[in-house]
Amino acid sequence: MNDRESSNEYLLDNLKERAKELNCLYQVDEILNNQRLSLPEIFRELIRIIPSGWQFPEVCKARIVYDNNSYHTPGFRSSQYSTVANIKPNGKVVGQVEVVYISEVIKSEEGYFLEKELKLIRTIADRIGHTILQRYIEPVLREWNLSKGQQPYEGRAPISEWKVIVDLVSRTDRSMLLHICRKMINYLCLSGIKEAEEVLWDFGTDSRDFFEQGELNYPSEKFPLGNLVSICEKTFRIASNHLSDAEIWIRLKNWIQEEKAYPLIKAVERLDASVKEIVKVITRYSYSIGDSNISYSPMGHWLVVALTRRFLSEKLEFINIARQHIEISDFYDVVSHLIFPEGSHGKIGGKGAGLFMAQQILAKASEDMPILQSVKVPKTWYITTDEIKEFLHYNNLEELNIQKYKEFFEIRIDYPNIIQLMKNCEFPEGIVKSLSMALDDFGDCPLIVRSSSLLEDQMGAAFSGKYKSLFLANQGSKQQRLEALMDAIGEVYASLYSPDSIQYRSERALLDFQEEMGIMIQEVVGNRVGPYFLPLYAGVAFSNNEFRWSPRIKREDGLIRLVMGLGTRAVDRVGDDFPVLVSPGQPGLRVNTIPEEIKRYSPKKLDVINLERNSFETIEISALLKEYGHMISNVQQIISIYTPEYVKKPLAFDIDFEQDDLVVTFDGLIKDTSFIKQIDIIQSILKEKLGTPVDIEFASDGDNFYLLQCRPQSFSSDTAPAAIPKDLSPREIIFSARRYISNGTIQDISHIVYVDPEGYNGLHKLDDLAKVGKAVGMLNYLLPRKRFVLMGPGRWGSRGDIKLGVQVSYSDINNTAALIEIARKKSNYVPELSFGTHFFQDLVESNIRYLPLYPDDKDIIFNEIFLRRTDSILEQILPEFGYLEDVIRVIDIPATCYGNVLKISMNADLEEALAYLAAPSGETTLKYNEISKTPKAFQPSESYTDDRFWRWRYYMAERIAERLDMEHFGVKGFYVIGSTNNGTAGPGSDIDVLIHFHGKQQQHEELLHWLKGWSLCLAEMNYLKTGYSSEGLLDVHIVTDEDIAKKTSFAVKIGALTDPAHPLKLKM
Amino acid sequence: MTHGSYNPYENAQSQFDRVAEIIGLDEATRVLLRQPMKEYHFTIPVHMDDGSTKVFNGYRMQHNDARGPAKGGIRFHPQETVDTIRALSMWMTWKCAVVDIPLGGGKGGIICDPRNLTENEQERLCRGWVRQLAKNVGPFIDVPAPDVMTNGKHMLWMLDEFELIHGGRFPGFITGKPVGMGGSLGRTEATGYGLIYTVREALKSFAMRIENTSASIQGFGNVAQYAAKLYQELGGTVVAVSSWDNTDKKAYTFRKKSGLDIPALFSITDPFGSIDKNKAGDLGCEILPEDAWIEEEVDILIPAALENQITLENVGKISKQVLLIAEGANGPINTDADEIIRKSGMFVIPDFLANAGGVTCSYFEQVQSNANYYWEKDEVLQKLDAQMTSAFKAVKETAKKHDLYMRDAAYVISINRVAQAVKMRGWV
Repeated sequence: MNDRESSNEYLLDNLKERAKELNCLYQVDEILNNQRLSLPEIFRELIRIIPSGWQFPEVCKARIVYDNNSYHTPGFRSSQYSTVANIKPNGKVVGQVEVVYISEVIKSEEGYFLEKELKLIRTIADRIGHTILQRYIEPVLREWNLSKGQQPYEGRAPISEWKVIVDLVSRTDRSMLLHICRKMINYLCLSGIKEAEEVLWDFGTDSRDFFEQGELNYPSEKFPLGNLVSICEKTFRIASNHLSDAEIWIRLKNWIQEEKAYPLIKAVERLDASVKEIVKVITRYSYSIGDSNISYSPMGHWLVVALTRRFLSEKLEFINIARQHIEISDFYDVVSHLIFPEGSHGKIGGKGAGLFMAQQILAKASEDMPILQSVKVPKTWYITTDEIKEFLHYNNLEELNIQKYKEFFEIRIDYPNIIQLMKNCEFPEGIVKSLSMALDDFGDCPLIVRSSSLLEDQMGAAFSGKYKSLFLANQGSKQQRLEALMDAIGEVYASLYSPDSIQYRSERALLDFQEEMGIMIQEVVGNRVGPYFLPLYAGVAFSNNEFRWSPRIKREDGLIRLVMGLGTRAVDRVGDDFPVLVSPGQPGLRVNTIPEEIKRYSPKKLDVINLERNSFETIEISALLKEYGHMISNVQQIISIYTPEYVKKPLAFDIDFEQDDLVVTFDGLIKDTSFIKQIDIIQSILKEKLGTPVDIEFASDGDNFYLLQCRPQSFSSDTAPAAIPKDLSPREIIFSARRYISNGTIQDISHIVYVDPEGYNGLHKLDDLAKVGKAVGMLNYLLPRKRFVLMGPGRWGSRGDIKLGVQVSYSDINNTAALIEIARKKSNYVPELSFGTHFFQDLVESNIRYLPLYPDDKDIIFNEIFLRRTDSILEQILPEFGYLEDVIRVIDIPATCYGNVLKISMNADLEEALAYLAAPSGETTLKYNEISKTPKAFQPSESYTDDRFWRWRYYMAERIAERLDMEHFGVKGFYVIGSTNNGTAGPGSDIDVLIHFHGKQQQHEELLHWLKGWSLCLAEMNYLKTGYSSEGLLDVHIVTDEDIAKKTSFAVKIGALTDPAHPLKLKM
Repeated sequence: MTHGSYNPYENAQSQFDRVAEIIGLDEATRVLLRQPMKEYHFTIPVHMDDGSTKVFNGYRMQHNDARGPAKGGIRFHPQETVDTIRALSMWMTWKCAVVDIPLGGGKGGIICDPRNLTENEQERLCRGWVRQLAKNVGPFIDVPAPDVMTNGKHMLWMLDEFELIHGGRFPGFITGKPVGMGGSLGRTEATGYGLIYTVREALKSFAMRIENTSASIQGFGNVAQYAAKLYQELGGTVVAVSSWDNTDKKAYTFRKKSGLDIPALFSITDPFGSIDKNKAGDLGCEILPEDAWIEEEVDILIPAALENQITLENVGKISKQVLLIAEGANGPINTDADEIIRKSGMFVIPDFLANAGGVTCSYFEQVQSNANYYWEKDEVLQKLDAQMTSAFKAVKETAKKHDLYMRDAAYVISINRVAQAVKMRGWV
């Protein structure tokens, strides 16, 4: 009870003090604004009022010193209890305000004067300074306005604007006056005006002498500086005789601004100037310059470059572009949201810099293009890249720097500990304060903590997804929110030591780079819907469309991957869901046109932040809409009502969230808003100004469009433009193509499945046509995964008319590396190809390449002799389809081409693709596409130059075979098949074993049990080696005598011609 | 057409010839019925969004309208052939005749790939098709419907253009319209329910109580779902259904010997007919390989997924207990397997009878549109039941009387009806 009372009292006292201070400030303002009072009168009034704002007014006295005069309260005397603030109307001290207690007063924790009181006196001094400046300027302004009013008609010489400025400067700032005089005289001399040279003499320089004497090797004489005011008068008299008013005015304005930029220049130029100092001068500069800008002068360029180098990037390409698009004032926002350690020399990191640049480019462009005016960037705070050093040092964690040179498995074992370690670290006090300030600025809106490292700046190296980005619900008390934020930052920092990022860097020879991790803390774009927080839509957009679904779409028409909710599902391929694809250049051409397909390939899930549970969640769209659909504003822009015969774009009023079958189509957004046009313009401007195709991330809360990220469109190794070899003999080339080419390389193809167009067309039984599809499905299952290509006539997967192309479903082709459609000319027309549309989105999400061939075009090579005459192994692998051997040809390339394999190089820039025989790349490459199985460890396009993945698998299989008790388990034979057998195993591969079994049910169960132990153990080993986790590494296939006799299921692998099962030695 | 390659029109003609032989049709009627009576081939110029103009080829084949206005879909197809449309229009004639609805057969199409056309271009294309044919189609001449790559959206554009030209409202011109814009209720259920109506009648004819029967169904899409639902409601036991698993990219058979709970199964099925494997386990289902559905010891097999599912390889696996196969899909039994089934004495309800519920509902849509009076769903389904029941009875009767395989009987009865009509009109 007592405690509470006293704390209440304390509060009350506090409030009283604040009220007193405010009251004092009001009165001060009132006096200062009283135009009738002269300055001395004002000061006299002020000293009377000021003491009332202090804690102990009875013993409080005030004094104002200005212009060699002193004004003070009666009874004022110097005292040890004193506080002073300077009056600086134009950055220069012209006087001071002093407050003293003439006798000792009670000293609080904060000292004799409260913190608020110190602030109060500074505020009063500032306001006095402001008033003084105003009093100076007013008469000048009056004169100026007067002259302006008379200028046009009266025929009288107007008092030019520049004269007003010179007058003002001569009254307020003598060093500035000297500066502009010098500049003007130099300018006049340079313009060849003789009189000016004489004035130059007044400055103490005589250029004539100087040059006549030539260069001397003793110091030149020092001349006294003449009377500044008279020099000034002389100078400007000459100027007005020779130059137009307008010209003088412009020169003056620029020089004055340059002068103001000097502290900035000085600071930026100094090597040891810390971020803090630069931030300070920029801030001061921003106040003094206001809206005007000197960016377009050489000095402006110099400054922008210097600042860019300090804060954004040292890469020349980047700086060069920055110089053209960034102004000094653009930095104001960054520096006012910067968190940095004491003595920092850090930057905001690659991701931050890329976004900043894009933002400035778009802002400049929006002057001519109103559609860009609504493009926003979410509020962002930046932590400089060197904060992590401070952080490590503070926690004595410098040893982590050697982490990257450790053995890979060590790194992996360490990583979970490092995350915990980092999360439990203390942050230096300074950063905690800054973060707390940032949190006050953000409020309790959800946040995303994104990495923004120096390496993420490298053009070409797609470093995306290697470092973490974490969403925070940012709910709860301030302390909880702050802790969660620091936790997240620690975790993002930890990702610097993640095995994946280290591996990635080591593969690209970036390991020795002094990597530093900056952080961006960004407001998450969106709205609250029920317990969730989500943007209405989000996505990524690419300048170049590498996945075109119609021949009418050009590569530069671009591609948007669009989802409802957080953009995470658009950025990554999620495997079990589909984003909506749109090409901004051809928004009317959609991938899916029939209602059922529209529904099948529409997004089913969305990512949200659950504000109540403080977590990031993936939820079903249908469930969200049912419950909260009516609360989502503009939801009619993104959903349509589905019926089997119609997909209806609804009016907002039309939707029955309970009953209607709703699908996400974005039809309203695409057709009824300027969204597509906006993206199209953004893309084309960024591409033009940055000089490279870009990919951007964006999100919208339904009203505004936010840019979240911008970087050069990444070239992963399999989508980089490939070199097209020119020196091949015709026999080595299998085909060439020159239409609808995208970028990429498909390597190490060991088998071609060729469905001969003529043979296929010649089949006259419907059943046989269907059989071709079946056979392809079986081959898809039997041939080495991602090491074969399918080539066939017309439209793969056509429903309806089977004549158009081989009837397959996606599961019949999902293991192919590429789907190739051949359009042979028929009498006088060339059939249209499908572009894989029947399962286009499946192809995109699993990275199966598509290529259309037009063999009858001019200058096209189509090696029909090779495709039709090389031995086919169809009959050996699929005897039951042997009768189709004229239609389906399966070519084992290494077996028939002296160990060579097929390589397809595709170059969209040249619009050319070539398939040719080449030596195996030596990369026992597998392309990993099943994202569901391989979460984040390796990118789909990685390639590995060693055979470590299959070798140890093979070794382990041998060990298992050696230890397997044949008799006990009823085993007759033990084989290795699949990727371990053919040497293509990658980090996530299973070990496929085939067991010839002839025992009883009991033995069968025991055997599986025994193998299960191995499987779990191997999976754990593999995880440590590669980061791929699985439930087990062994994929056991059991075959019986009967299977072998009938050659059913996997039994066909035993003694097969292509990729046969390899028997291992068993324990006898 | 390349010599020797598969030609659907030749196939349809030879099938017709075989039945004509059974019936003993006269030469003139054979010549009349083995080809379309009217064919329209025309061009449709369309202004594309980019300012260019592209000329498309459009078609309409009216095979026979002796029994009523021609009825049949409009296909958008990039490599449409005239012979395919001819074959399909003939098939429509037989299909309408077998369920005894007063419509003839037609089919049409445009050679185009709608995936390469924007919506605006598609609209102009649809309107162009109608403009070229406005005098030759109509509620009492020829009634189009959606087909491959066309849907309600296209139908409404076409209807609008037709009404614009003829100055009035003629919702009976076209079917497949959305409900509320002249469409009929009950469309979703029609095919699956229609199938079970025929199954019910077949069981009656064997003097079996449906409550004492069990069934295994291939597929769990629209047709299979509603078939399973009605069959269970009538008292039957669904022992197994097979369904596609999109994650594993293969199908599984879900079995519960005591009978699957179909409504419960609905609740764990996604919109594309994939049953959630894990949740199915919780419901007490056994999860068996894809092909297991065909081996079940049940009385009824309903292949309602894709064509060519029962083949020489698996026909032998069909249990001896199976009495009846009802073809829910189009052509689920291939020719070779059909021979074996025919010899085995198993009772087959052929596809174009078993799944005629769909076309019957289209007919109802047209009737309602012409009357501008729309029925409640119950009324639609009741009328559907009556229509399917009598159609089945007639085919069954014919099969019995002439000792024909059901498939042949169905063809016989429909070709016979059309032949009668052309004769009564005095055409031949």
